[in-house]
Amino acid sequence: MSLLEVKNLSVEFHTQEGITRAVNGASFTVNPGQTVGLVGESGSGKSVSAFSVMGLIPNPPGKIVSGEILFNGKDILKMNEAQMRKLRGNDISMIFQEPMTSLNPVFKVGEQIAESLILHKGMNAKEALEKAIELMDQVGIPNPKSRALAYPHELSGGQKQRIMIAMAIACDPKLLICDEPTTALDVTIQKQVLDLIFGLQQEYNMGVLFITHDLAVIADIADEVVVMYKSNIVERNSVKSIFNSPSHPYSKGLLACRPGLESNPKRLLTVSDFMDKEGNELKVSDERKKPFTKTYDYSGDKNPILLEVKNLKTYFPVKAGFFRRTIGHIKAVDDVSFQLRKGRTLGLVGESGCGKTTLGRTILRLVEPTEGSVYYQGQDVTGLEAKELQALRSKMQIIFQDPYSSLNPRMTIEQIIVEPMKIHKVGVSDNERVDLAKQLMEKVGLLTSHLSRYPHQFSGGQRQRIAIARALALKPEFIICDESVSALDVSVQAQVLNLLLDLQDEFDLTYIFISHDLSVVNFISDEVGVMYQGKIVEHAVASEVYNNPQMGYTRNLLSAIPKGIPKS
Amino acid sequence: MKKESLWGEALKKIVKDKISLFSLIVVLVYTIIAILVSLGVIVGDWHQTVGPNYAPPSSDFIFGTDFLGRDVFKKVIYGVQVAMSVGFISSMISIPIGVVLGATAGYFGGVVDEIIVWFYTTFSSIPTIMLLISISFILEKGITSVYIALGLTTWVHLCRLVRGEVIKHKNRDYVQAVTAIGGGHARKLFRHIIPNVFHVVIINASLQFQVAIKSEVILSYLGLGVQEQPSWGKMINDAKQELTSGYWWQLAFATLAMFLIVLAFNILGDALRDALDPKLKGKES
Amino acid sequence: MQILQYTLRRLLYLLPVIFGVSFVIFILFNVVLGDPTPILLGKNATLKQIEELRHQLGLDRSWLMQYLDVVKSAFTFDFGISWSTKQKISDIIISRAYPSLTLTLPAFVISTTFSILISLFVAYYRGRGIDTFVRVLCIALMSISSLVYILFFQWFFAFHLEWFEISGYEPGFPDFLAYTTLPGIIWIVLSIGPDVRFFRTVMLDEIYQDYVRTARAKGLREVTILLKHVLRNALVPIITYVVIQIPFLILGALLLESFFGIPGLGGVILEAINSSDFPVIKAFAILTSIVYIVFNLITDVLYAVVDPRIKLH
Repeated sequence: MSLLEVKNLSVEFHTQEGITRAVNGASFTVNPGQTVGLVGESGSGKSVSAFSVMGLIPNPPGKIVSGEILFNGKDILKMNEAQMRKLRGNDISMIFQEPMTSLNPVFKVGEQIAESLILHKGMNAKEALEKAIELMDQVGIPNPKSRALAYPHELSGGQKQRIMIAMAIACDPKLLICDEPTTALDVTIQKQVLDLIFGLQQEYNMGVLFITHDLAVIADIADEVVVMYKSNIVERNSVKSIFNSPSHPYSKGLLACRPGLESNPKRLLTVSDFMDKEGNELKVSDERKKPFTKTYDYSGDKNPILLEVKNLKTYFPVKAGFFRRTIGHIKAVDDVSFQLRKGRTLGLVGESGCGKTTLGRTILRLVEPTEGSVYYQGQDVTGLEAKELQALRSKMQIIFQDPYSSLNPRMTIEQIIVEPMKIHKVGVSDNERVDLAKQLMEKVGLLTSHLSRYPHQFSGGQRQRIAIARALALKPEFIICDESVSALDVSVQAQVLNLLLDLQDEFDLTYIFISHDLSVVNFISDEVGVMYQGKIVEHAVASEVYNNPQMGYTRNLLSAIPKGIPKS
Repeated sequence: MKKESLWGEALKKIVKDKISLFSLIVVLVYTIIAILVSLGVIVGDWHQTVGPNYAPPSSDFIFGTDFLGRDVFKKVIYGVQVAMSVGFISSMISIPIGVVLGATAGYFGGVVDEIIVWFYTTFSSIPTIMLLISISFILEKGITSVYIALGLTTWVHLCRLVRGEVIKHKNRDYVQAVTAIGGGHARKLFRHIIPNVFHVVIINASLQFQVAIKSEVILSYLGLGVQEQPSWGKMINDAKQELTSGYWWQLAFATLAMFLIVLAFNILGDALRDALDPKLKGKES
Repeated sequence: MQILQYTLRRLLYLLPVIFGVSFVIFILFNVVLGDPTPILLGKNATLKQIEELRHQLGLDRSWLMQYLDVVKSAFTFDFGISWSTKQKISDIIISRAYPSLTLTLPAFVISTTFSILISLFVAYYRGRGIDTFVRVLCIALMSISSLVYILFFQWFFAFHLEWFEISGYEPGFPDFLAYTTLPGIIWIVLSIGPDVRFFRTVMLDEIYQDYVRTARAKGLREVTILLKHVLRNALVPIITYVVIQIPFLILGALLLESFFGIPGLGGVILEAINSSDFPVIKAFAILTSIVYIVFNLITDVLYAVVDPRIKLH
């Protein structure tokens, strides 16, 4: 008998805007000791399916309209709330995506773990706390005894997720549901957390339902993969079959769109290469699939130097004490120097807090540097007066990470794209500027008729295209892409990366591409700089960094990348 | 999907809901009455004796008459103008002060911020009722003092709100993006940040109206309010003597008139908050 | 130790605010108000009498000295003498505070407790009929002038039904209850609307947080989640809201006291307004501001105790 058997599950959401079917007739099973990956892009219904198993679909607006969810043969949809509560946190437990907000901020973490034990195992407070400390030790928290008394905000993101895991396994659950538990974490932390989860799985022979948008994350740990697309399950198969011979065009696209470390086609394949809008399979030409080897000769490069950064430092003061004196500095950017030639892409990689974003913003003087210089075509940007700087801004642009906050929600797309032209007096009339905006919309692959819409009417990928159109409006030579594809689903990410490369070819653009994702940086960059604690610790041609890393830190980063090779 | 600004969507949402639509209509009707009274088109003759003293409501005088035989209906209608003007003019005083100071403090930060924060902390430290009493007591008694007193006490709350919102927005990427395309302070503040925080002003104004209308009653009771005109506050106040003799109608109808508009502003405030707060907009769940 | 340092630094921050408050009051009462002597002495006063009085009141001194007088009174609570009763204002305040507190304190405690219980109840049944009903009732209750409640309740329960005394006061427990119960009930009715509305919003803000989802995933009962996880987080805004009301308890319930003839501080203010007793109103403005500032400080410190995220340095 399966541990979990979901049969023909359909879930609807009834809102003012109408009824949406989030899950449509989904069926899958999880056996004891088995790991099932539930894969799909945001809005595909994968999380809703998982929440249904926990009985945590908010009702209203959610409603399970049909199907059965059998846990150990019993339909949990027929259970009452009291019976459900006995299962939750006891036989079935769950880890969430956001470790930052998923813990109660005003209770000590030890108490929060102990709470489940008191509830389900009938322990008293003292026993439960002892057991909680034991669990914290098991999930790899150093000094568990003292850390048990810490509040969530005193722990790092990775440690918080470990606490969540300790909480989830506290009562020896039979089924563990993981909802994108590593998406918010750095790649090295992701690896540790994944190793932890699957070590525990082996130990306790749990069934694991692992939800992710990134197939590569679960390649070497899942036994079976369920692919969801637009509320439907489109493919269900063993992990090997999915990776080696996917049958549904969406699965094929999903597998192909993630840039690899070894080789990639000139432009990444996307889901739309495999499937048209109606869901019919398309034939992908061999030309499109052909691996492309980048040839970039660092020392023999004849292109002129566009940007030179010399001993750049950006420090933020730390204040403390009774009189709030400055007692030290956070060295966000600490003595960074490099040169970048025209038409090339420098990839900057590093984990959160390494200073890569501050570096990008300091180069553009969105943040003022503490020391050092930035030469753009021989001119020192750090010494420019406001007026000269304003003129230079038309040549240097930036595309931000979060497509939700980088567009003014109260302006139309037309106003957003036309604004930089107005500031820099590009075009003689408003009509001419609107015509230019239309051309830009076509360039970034959007409809010109959408110019009169507002940002909230677009998806994340579309918004990022709008941000690109705005950046291009001034015909810049140099663009900083600050984690510009990190917030996007992998399939959308591939499209935006392709677009950036096409635009680079067409307009001879120079990029600094900032990302925490090494495979993305590898795909798009000519040279790569690895940042750690405000410094560039390794800087070389992309292939060199990946094939022959010099620093231990770089090697750690590389080995933490999910390889996307299914487990045997 | 139609092209629709956040403001347009908000209005549509309010109109779609029956209760908030009703509130909107009440506010509009009261506004029209207030304008007509100000222009002298209607109830200019409220002060004339039209019947016996204390005539109860009847077909002649639907709201009855007061101790001088004046038509209570006309007084209630006249009160609409007083109440709405108190709300409107005090908002017109407090909104510019609150928005300018709040936005300046939030946007520029540093010493400017510290001075403005000190300034509003000072004002908010004097309990509103004491400040209200002091100002209207010191200025000449009358409706102008009520306007000024309410205007000068209510800007503080708005200033704090606007400052908080501006600080939140000035670090958003869309404002950084304006810096990156070469936009200056004025463009960032007026074209980008203020339109994005203005919903706070609108929501606050709808709440301020009802605070102002209620405060007028208290000030009238204290003898610090409207002097030569009828107002709901004065009518309710008159009931102190009238109720024991069974003359309930001034109290009842003034209360009813006030209840309707304050209720409407309360509901509208809530509906505006739900509709205008872009917090939940755009993020797919 | 940390909390002590934090408190000390907050105390230091109070000084500029006290100077500011004194300045506003100085501007209002010493500069804008102008010369009050004609009001005091009547039209037939001689020039000499006016001179003398001005000197007596310190009005012939420089603006700076007059301002410093205001600042000084904020620290010493020496507000001078009432013009109408000729008593020391600080003595008046002390003697009249007791009746005020016998009315407001019990009413405040009961209404706050009630409101928190009701809001917990409606938060549990959020989105259902009873929640909507309470929400609408709160808005409706808030939409009627406080004066109307007082007029109607006094007329109906005291005059018509004769359940309570219409007016008056006797000190000493339980004698005052006969006089303070009805105004106390009115106070509760007046506060319950805005209180429940605020507490409900605060709790609903918390209920949709991720940590509540975690608590549900643990298998906790909805009631436990509400009483333990949600309430503890909601406590931070609730504390601010509640503590900041305390200064107004001391101020007394202005209208209630005047209607029910309770000889409290509210009555002192009313008498002062009616007799143009400027020093008394000025004293109240300063005193209530100082009390407000002090309670603001208490809120900040309590905040730091309740919410571990607030850094003390």
